[in-house]
Amino acid sequence: MRILLVEDEAPLRETLAARLKREGYAVDAAADGDEGLYLGREMPFDCAVIDLGLPKMPGLDLVKALREEGKKYPILILTARSSWQDKVEGLKTGADDYLVKPFHVEELLARLNALMRRASGWTRPTLECGPVVLDTTAQTVTVSGQGVELTSYEYKVLEYLMLHAGELVSKSDLTEHIYQQDFDRDSNVLEVFIGRLRKKLDPENTLKPIETVRGRGYRFAIPRAD
Amino acid sequence: MALRVEPSSSDRPSELRVRMATPPPPSRRAPPTEKRPLSLQVRLLGAVGVALFGFLGLTGFALEQAFYESSVQSLRDRLQSFVYAFLSGSDVSVGGKLILPEYLPEQRFSRPQSGLYAGAVGTDIKWVSRSALGYDMPFDAQLEPKSRRFVGPVDTPLGQVYLLSQGIVWEVPGREDVKITFHVAEDVQAINAQMEVFRRTLWTWLLVVAVALLVAEILILRWSLRPLRRVSKDLTLVERGGLEQMPGGYPYELEGLTKSINAFIDSEREQRSRYRNTLSDLAHSLKTPLAVISNELESGSDRDAKGFRLLVNEQVDRMDEIVAYQLSRAATSGHRTFAAPIELLQPAEEIVSSLEKVYAERQVLCEFELDPQARFYGELGDLMELLGNLLENAFKWAKHRVELTARCGGPVTARRRGLELIVEDDGPGIPPDQRERMLQRGVRGDERVQGHGIGLSIVQDIVRAYRAEIEVGASESLGGAKFTVRFQAVA
Repeated sequence: MRILLVEDEAPLRETLAARLKREGYAVDAAADGDEGLYLGREMPFDCAVIDLGLPKMPGLDLVKALREEGKKYPILILTARSSWQDKVEGLKTGADDYLVKPFHVEELLARLNALMRRASGWTRPTLECGPVVLDTTAQTVTVSGQGVELTSYEYKVLEYLMLHAGELVSKSDLTEHIYQQDFDRDSNVLEVFIGRLRKKLDPENTLKPIETVRGRGYRFAIPRAD
Repeated sequence: MALRVEPSSSDRPSELRVRMATPPPPSRRAPPTEKRPLSLQVRLLGAVGVALFGFLGLTGFALEQAFYESSVQSLRDRLQSFVYAFLSGSDVSVGGKLILPEYLPEQRFSRPQSGLYAGAVGTDIKWVSRSALGYDMPFDAQLEPKSRRFVGPVDTPLGQVYLLSQGIVWEVPGREDVKITFHVAEDVQAINAQMEVFRRTLWTWLLVVAVALLVAEILILRWSLRPLRRVSKDLTLVERGGLEQMPGGYPYELEGLTKSINAFIDSEREQRSRYRNTLSDLAHSLKTPLAVISNELESGSDRDAKGFRLLVNEQVDRMDEIVAYQLSRAATSGHRTFAAPIELLQPAEEIVSSLEKVYAERQVLCEFELDPQARFYGELGDLMELLGNLLENAFKWAKHRVELTARCGGPVTARRRGLELIVEDDGPGIPPDQRERMLQRGVRGDERVQGHGIGLSIVQDIVRAYRAEIEVGASESLGGAKFTVRFQAVA
């Protein structure tokens, strides 16, 4: 999951970016509205976190500009102003959720999680595809009720595939949405992760949850339950 | 782990800071460079003066005209009577000659250039009075018998005259009738002199009347504007702090104004005291968590780092809540005196579509039942805060349904009708023993009932600022909680 973070205050931006990366997100941080708009146009994000008080271009204008560019990914706005008039204004402009400063990072993570899930058409926090159940809040995976131990990256890959269950996800999509820019795209790390996931989810090789579409990418093959 | 985030300083300045700016200087008059509109006194005096002089001028003109016409008429009558006098005293001889009376009807006919002239002309007859002898007067015209002509002023060698001519016929037995035309003329000077005297008298008196009326007008003005001057004087006193309020005893027409001023002063004062209270509440309620932290630091207790962090975290949360609550309280205006009516539909729709976005997960259906006549008299921000907090609360607790109802209250004739806002949900509801506690009066940010967020405290503050009522109960139709806010009608 790739997140755009636009926040002008350096300490907050850096700690938030570090925390989001630790949670397994790919993060692109911008310090002002112009940079945010540039990144938001160029990169395939899954979500954006935008502060309203930004230099060069106010946060609300940035949200509006991104929506006018046809960017559909969910946007969460950060604001110090908690009045309903401000909230309504922000949500009307095209944001999908807001968080009033100061906030707990856990709250932000939970909101982002829910936003991205909703954006992929899942209404509940647990993603169910046949016997495979992924709980996005607890970040656990079970197959037929049996818990499966996954590493952070494995979890992220599975989450991305399951969020887009039934759709073709190209290799470059996966790498762009899961890793930082400096990731070596030519390595076969992704194949390794997919191979491990298949083994862990389906040791007997009966479910065949992840399909390889030759030369194009992967598809989570078990249909959604809801 | 919890990360603490301070509000970014580049956000717009807070409402509180804007509103707490130093009060403007007592004098708020327009700068002298700006052109001031004319004073009431000048306007009234000017308008009345123009009307007065116009009226008196027209009157004078009409009177003059009437007098002139009646003078001319009386001159004509006089000339006519001279003609008759000549007629009655004259005769025609057997030879057809005119015999004039021995004594002319007026001495002036015999005195040269006296201003009164006469002449007679007819077949073989031509006579001119001595007063006009030697001058070529227009006495040659011969009129048909019994016809009469009055003209003037006519230019003659003896000056301008009014001229009356009359044709007559003398029947002489056994002979042809003798036709004669009498001309009598009088100098215009007689009339002019008369007019002069009349004009002088007339205009003198009109002027006297005008001046008297203007003086009366000024006195009346001063007398009727005195209450206004008093209002302005009292207002200055109020501004300087010499008076608490505008005292009563103004004329009926000004009562509305002074009452409004008093209401404004009151709400201003209330506002100021609310700021003061907010500020002191804020400062005082922040002291408790600060004291806890500083005690913990100083006592150097044996708590481990994790425990200390937990404690600080808890206190920081508390401070955050306090600040958020007091900020929104300071923004509540409660200016009900001069508020324009606001329709409910648009703000309610905006809030609900926002809530539907944020609480998309819950798939709550919100229904409206709004009386199209219902209006909120106050600040839009307060209405949105009120609806936002009540509806958010309902969205949080509802299973599937939320209902917002707005009704008019009070008599139809009221200047401002009352308003009843009801928010209901189908959630678990609030147990009766907790309802009372939720609505305790004077609950400060740090003394609130836990678990209901600061939303309800904000709602209560707004309710108090608008002198409205709030009631918590059970929804009959949906089975969950029901919040009712009632604003009173103003007659």
